[in-house]
Amino acid sequence: MVKTFTVPFEEGLHARPATELVKICQNIQSDVVFKKNDMNVNPKSILGILTLEAKKGDQITVEIQGADEKEAMKKLEDYFTAK
Amino acid sequence: MLINEALIDMALDADTKEEVVRGLATLAYKDGKINDCEKYIEAVLNREAEYSTAVGFGIAIPHGKTEAVTEPFLGFGKVKEVDWNALDTKPVDLVFIIGVPKKDSGSLHLKLLAKLSRKLMNETFRDELRKAETKKDIIAILETVF
Repeated sequence: MVKTFTVPFEEGLHARPATELVKICQNIQSDVVFKKNDMNVNPKSILGILTLEAKKGDQITVEIQGADEKEAMKKLEDYFTAK
Repeated sequence: MLINEALIDMALDADTKEEVVRGLATLAYKDGKINDCEKYIEAVLNREAEYSTAVGFGIAIPHGKTEAVTEPFLGFGKVKEVDWNALDTKPVDLVFIIGVPKKDSGSLHLKLLAKLSRKLMNETFRDELRKAETKKDIIAILETVF
């Protein structure tokens, strides 16, 4: 499954939002890849997320492949669209 | 350069996260990067209280964005194993500290973290940092990053 989200966080994707994101992704069994421009990273690692340098308003394409991909995408959708 | 020898401690004597932050912040203060040491320390520790800045592999990147910072800087310290409430629960032995003036837009902060993170994902780079014995070695390694 592939979906694109916009970073909603004022400070960009680091700090507390990044920590929450890692926790969500570490509970996903499927393979997850985040893509921004020509970068592909593993969001199950904080370093991976920080590498993206994702600012507020940037678009991130999320690719999930595996048994729990549907529930996983829902969780990430909630994460990016909450509040 | 964001980092210089005055911002590096190759054997920081500290047992806790707070002591590490205080030690590195003091270096930045003496080097004129911060005009209010306590205020900076408070900003960094408040952030740490919300979530840990440990990034795995025994490395932490505490950071503070406050008006107490007069010039962006990067500090570095080698410590004995210190608990950093890391997600992977492992202690930390390498610490990078970042300071950015509050007036800077959010992007500098994010850019520094991204550049450093790209390098830190590389095991060879981490090994080089751990093997480095002098401040000059550290500067030489970090020059390839920024």
